Amino acid sequence: AAEFNNRNIRVSNGINEDHPVGDGIRAMQECLDEKSGGKLELTAFWGGALGGDLQATQALRSGVQEAVVTSSSPLVGMIPALGVFDLPFLFKDASEADAVMDGEFGDLINEKLEEAGLINLAYWENGFRNVSNSVRPITKWEDLDGIKMRVMQNNIFLDTFKNLGANATPMSFGEVFSALETHTIDAQENPYVTIDTSKFYEVQDYVSETNHAYTPFLFLFSKPIWDTYTEDEQAALRECAVVGRDVERSVIREANQESLAKIQEEGIEYNTLSDDEYARMLEKSQIIYDKYREQIGGDIVDAVQEQLTEIRG
Amino acid sequence: MTLVVFVGTLLGSMAIGLPVAFALMFCGVILMSYMGMFNTQIVAQQMISGADTFTLLAIPFFILAGELMNSGGLSKRIINFALTCVGHIRGGLGIVAIISAIIMASLSGSAAADTAALASILIPMMARAGYNVPRSAGLMAAGGIIAPVIPPSLAFIIFGVAANVSITKLFMGGIVPGLLMGLVLVFTWLLVVKKDNIETLPRQPMKVRLRATADAAWALGMPVIILGGIRFGIVTPTEAAVIAAVYALLVGLFVYRELKFSDLYRVILQAAKTTSVVMFLVAAALVSAWLITMANIPAELGSLIEPLIDRPKLLLLVIMALVLVVGTALDLAPTILILSPVLMPIIKEAGIDPVYFGVLFIMNTCIGLITPPVGVVLNVVSSVSKVPLGQVVWGVFPFLLAQILVLILLVLFPGIVLVPLNWLI
Amino acid sequence: MQRTVDLFYRFLELLLVLLLSGMVVMVFLNVVLRYGFNSGVTVSEELSRYFFVWLTFIGAVVTFREGSHLGIETLVSRLSRKGRITCMILVNVLIMLVSAIFFLGTWKQLPINATMHAPVSGLRMSWVFGVGMFTGGMMFLIAAERLFRIVTGRVTDDEISAFAGEHTIEQLMERGE
Ligand code: NA
Ligand code: NA
Repeated sequence: AAEFNNRNIRVSNGINEDHPVGDGIRAMQECLDEKSGGKLELTAFWGGALGGDLQATQALRSGVQEAVVTSSSPLVGMIPALGVFDLPFLFKDASEADAVMDGEFGDLINEKLEEAGLINLAYWENGFRNVSNSVRPITKWEDLDGIKMRVMQNNIFLDTFKNLGANATPMSFGEVFSALETHTIDAQENPYVTIDTSKFYEVQDYVSETNHAYTPFLFLFSKPIWDTYTEDEQAALRECAVVGRDVERSVIREANQESLAKIQEEGIEYNTLSDDEYARMLEKSQIIYDKYREQIGGDIVDAVQEQLTEIRG
Repeated sequence: MTLVVFVGTLLGSMAIGLPVAFALMFCGVILMSYMGMFNTQIVAQQMISGADTFTLLAIPFFILAGELMNSGGLSKRIINFALTCVGHIRGGLGIVAIISAIIMASLSGSAAADTAALASILIPMMARAGYNVPRSAGLMAAGGIIAPVIPPSLAFIIFGVAANVSITKLFMGGIVPGLLMGLVLVFTWLLVVKKDNIETLPRQPMKVRLRATADAAWALGMPVIILGGIRFGIVTPTEAAVIAAVYALLVGLFVYRELKFSDLYRVILQAAKTTSVVMFLVAAALVSAWLITMANIPAELGSLIEPLIDRPKLLLLVIMALVLVVGTALDLAPTILILSPVLMPIIKEAGIDPVYFGVLFIMNTCIGLITPPVGVVLNVVSSVSKVPLGQVVWGVFPFLLAQILVLILLVLFPGIVLVPLNWLI
Repeated sequence: MQRTVDLFYRFLELLLVLLLSGMVVMVFLNVVLRYGFNSGVTVSEELSRYFFVWLTFIGAVVTFREGSHLGIETLVSRLSRKGRITCMILVNVLIMLVSAIFFLGTWKQLPINATMHAPVSGLRMSWVFGVGMFTGGMMFLIAAERLFRIVTGRVTDDEISAFAGEHTIEQLMERGE
């Protein structure tokens, strides 16, 4: 018979419950109910109620908290290999991203995570990041020249946008709206859903589909706690995290399109990059790949590019 | 049940004289043991990573700016400016105190420091002019607590970080309520001194007034820099704080020349010590806040006041009464830190604007600074003016009532906060 | 001995002054650079945060020794001398308990933090978080010394009245209210 104990699994999130991750968690819970007869229970804490993602991940490593859904970017100081997802213009579209994340390369990253005391149950999706600003549409990298832009506290992002000519500054997310509103900064970069839910469209004029970075959400579990779970429990968690992943990915992609439509209705001018200009941006950004190759790990950068070459045929 | 454990531990350990910061840590230890998840690393991690927040850096900078402002002669010139302008009116010294309190509030975030500066200069003058001294001391205390309501404000920074609300918006939201507190104090003061036999000061000639204004101009320029800088998005609150500190330093050193290079070490050290007292409390509170969230205490409390969720005004009145009660025994920072994680989920569920709530909440905790038995501003004014604490409590009473009235007014008419707020940002 | 201890606290105070001054210089310089020259030193945002952490936790020890972390003394002040001493014993035991937990927790986290590097400066996070061992350890020692003096009857009347809420104006101002 399957072995299940009563487990309360506390999952923290930096985002709010109405984010597609909420749909993913609900789907995962349904799946867990079915497999464990209601014994495995997820309790989600939203909006960073249990602290920031980095803090929560540290709590996982010390076995204080069970799980977190987090972007890869905040964890780069802990697991340098995750810096690979900050590399600019790495994936061209969602199908490339799925193939790489759910394939061998994803497993390679999972190994690195496990070495740091973290079990990654599945790769959920934060999505492609795009630039909004109040100056002009970004159609080529030269358009970023002199634009004051908020980026995450992350060297690769900082260097990428500085290299493209923007005046990039890190700033905590909570201050972004008022900083945009008061023109302390002109621009920010985030997935469409964030631009929508954080109402950045109220204080921005242009949204440009730069797809400059793809960030996965990692569904991380504390290894010290994981090791105390039975095999059945572990298997159920892994399988249900995949069920949750599929729901989350499809909801977030739909939501991104809805958000984009809504942003446009709100009067924001929207543009995409031509293939040529996308290629020019990538080319201009090669210097970033070279600069961070050693820090991320040559094996990691090579592995992702090999797999991409394979996919692109 | 967890709620009972939390409140019981906190009250019990504070009652035997355990300092609030340690009581919060102890509370965390008891909560995690009760929840069967005792782990020393929870304490270590929450305390230190909680302090590691760039936004909180505004705290040491504003504290330093306040220290420099008092040591550098800025406060003195502000009071002198108000004195030459309205000192000659009947009851004028009281109005001087309120005007000075408002101006100083827009430079500093500390009620205790502002009250001390006001009381040390004005109370001797008021005693000489025949004012009732305990009542004057009470007015200083009530004026001093405007400091955290009008930006810059440590209280708003702590609340903004604890409750994840924009500090810029909180700052802008505090301006009108702070001014209103001052206005109501002026009326109350004029009402209570009506029958007193007091001397009025001679009216100052225009020349003297202009000189005092020019002399104070450097000090009066500071709020323009701080608020203008934040409002027009030139700087973030943290940057505004550092600019305020550097500005007060330069004015004190080179313009007013009351600050000597040899004083600097002492002033900086004092600011550093105050910072660590405040921040250690913040860090300790984050341990219990984390466990409060883990234990779902807000939901427990939420179910208690569930019936009020659909009646936000009544809910707000109940919460404000609760804060007022908590504030009799606890001062500002601990009240904010202990109540924010418990109240914010309820506020959000009831659909109350978090900025509006923040303004009312901070104002209420400020009132706590002048309610007995524990009110640090009462102690400050008592030791500066040498009026026994009991008499200060009596003297502050009418002003305390007036400020509670303002608070009730803001609950009943949210527009007083929200309309100017929308206009300001 | 007392001289060495005093000298040690003078040194801690010097550290506090240097840390706060360093924070002012770094953050102010960045504002000037950003508006004056459209550039900035990325490392200073991060480093000033770490200075802040050190300032907080080193300063917490200095101010704890001076008795500036205040609580509610309403009840204690109504107690007899004997009652006050009993409360003092309890309070110091509780402080020793939480300080020991703080120390141990930081110590247990060191290996995890040592593998984590600050994103910009590359500083090992154990240098930042390790300060908890200093603070927890020092507070434990200070409270233990007090406890020893209380139970051996060497506590001064000044200490007892300070415990019962008779504070100097400096201590009141240090609460930052
Ligand atoms: Na203020
Ligand atoms: Na009080």
